[in-house]
Amino acid sequence: MTAQAWNQARDFIARWYSIPLLLLLWQLAVGSGLVESRLLPGPGRVLTALVTDVGNGTLVYHASVTLYRALIGFLLAALIGIPFAVAMARSGLVRNLFEPIFFFGYPVPKIALFPVFTYIFGIGTPSKIAFTFLECLYPIVVTCYFGFRAVETRLIWSAQNYGASRATILRRVILPAAMPSIFSGLRIALPVALIVVVITEMIGDSVGLGYYITIWSTRFTFANVYAAIIVIGICGLVLDQALLLFRRRAVYWQREAA
Amino acid sequence: MRINSAAVQNWIVPVLVLVAWEVFGRAGMLPRYLSAPSMILLALWELASTGELWPALAASLYRVSAGFVLGTVAGVIVGLGAGLIPGVRHFFDPLVSFLYAIPKVAFLPIFLLMFGLGHASKISIIAFSCFFPVFIASRHAVLSVNKLLVWAAQNMGTPRQTIFFRVVVPAAAPQLFSGVRIGLAHAFVVLFAAELIGSRVGLGNLITHAEEWVRFDLMFAGIVCFAVLGFASDRILLAIRARVLKGQTIGTEEQGMR
Repeated sequence: MTAQAWNQARDFIARWYSIPLLLLLWQLAVGSGLVESRLLPGPGRVLTALVTDVGNGTLVYHASVTLYRALIGFLLAALIGIPFAVAMARSGLVRNLFEPIFFFGYPVPKIALFPVFTYIFGIGTPSKIAFTFLECLYPIVVTCYFGFRAVETRLIWSAQNYGASRATILRRVILPAAMPSIFSGLRIALPVALIVVVITEMIGDSVGLGYYITIWSTRFTFANVYAAIIVIGICGLVLDQALLLFRRRAVYWQREAA
Repeated sequence: MRINSAAVQNWIVPVLVLVAWEVFGRAGMLPRYLSAPSMILLALWELASTGELWPALAASLYRVSAGFVLGTVAGVIVGLGAGLIPGVRHFFDPLVSFLYAIPKVAFLPIFLLMFGLGHASKISIIAFSCFFPVFIASRHAVLSVNKLLVWAAQNMGTPRQTIFFRVVVPAAAPQLFSGVRIGLAHAFVVLFAAELIGSRVGLGNLITHAEEWVRFDLMFAGIVCFAVLGFASDRILLAIRARVLKGQTIGTEEQGMR
């Protein structure tokens, strides 16, 4: 083994040792009977539950429902929120009319409104999508609004000087200049979408990963609860990586900050 | 006052919504679950005068503040440690990058079973969810402190302790506060979910009970209390932040978020 490969291996271990170490401690604690195994089933049993329920399609089905709701709510919020943020940034009237709603509404915990949503939209998919839309709308509008506001006037003036039309300025100057902010808004909103869907599914539903967690915890089968948590984690990672991939294509001139 | 002044325009949308809600509600043209604003105010008065509100408010406030403080303090200490000491960073980084993608609420059934339906389970899950954003913000903040500042201090023979308290912490503070603010928002979401799913007292329970009694005015009164609590906490945090970071927020995005 060359010195370089040896160094690489050591770096790798130094960076990742904590996960296997904790898995080992977990296994030891369960094996020695230190913790009640009903509450904390060993990693082996969690893995078995995960493989079984992914294999027979149960977890895949619930995950697809959760992802569907989260993505639709998120996309609606992006489709409506970004043009809205442009309007707020470009027009004084729109800004004055809606700024208080976004800036005072931003820190309000909107989750408290969820019971009302279940009355308006029913308990199934529509209320989850509508609520996800609301929760995602705030970070998207606020972040994009600041992004559009921060576009240097210098750039807009020089485009006007060259006789560019308003539409061209929007498409070729303002949008590209604000693109990094748009993506940071989307990147804040995407995990919010997943969180909100899981929470609302836990509060009341008969499908989705949140429901899966609730139903298996009432049956005291925590191996399945942990399996669902792992699936949620994977969904979150995949969504985030997909968004970063889009960002690399759309904002190719700027590398993302870690 | 002119109609096109910003101060007037700011009020148009909220006032219109409230008036329309009141008028249509009184005329019986809205569904029954949308109690008119005046009814909600009366219900608030009823809750306050019968004394029903106070134990619920106290329970929720106690849970959210204890959980938030515990999680934030732990997040700051471990995050600063991870930023300063590579060993700590290498231990926590893989764990956090995996756990961060998971909505911490997913662990709620496990916390409920471990700590029961009382305060302890809510405080611990709130602390658990606050920990992550605060940890990440403090870790990044310390790592992005300008090395020149630290070197300059070292050059002048400053002891390590003084460098930590007088250079690293002040330089890291703005980023740290953004993490704490995200943590606070998480705290309220988790509090609400926990009180709806498994609890005996608190504002979440007040709202559920009101629904069971088909008293929608009381339900909205509970929602209003919860929203005000969340909003006021955020404002208090911003006020603390403004004092601590006197002069450091000028020209940043947060300054606009008054």
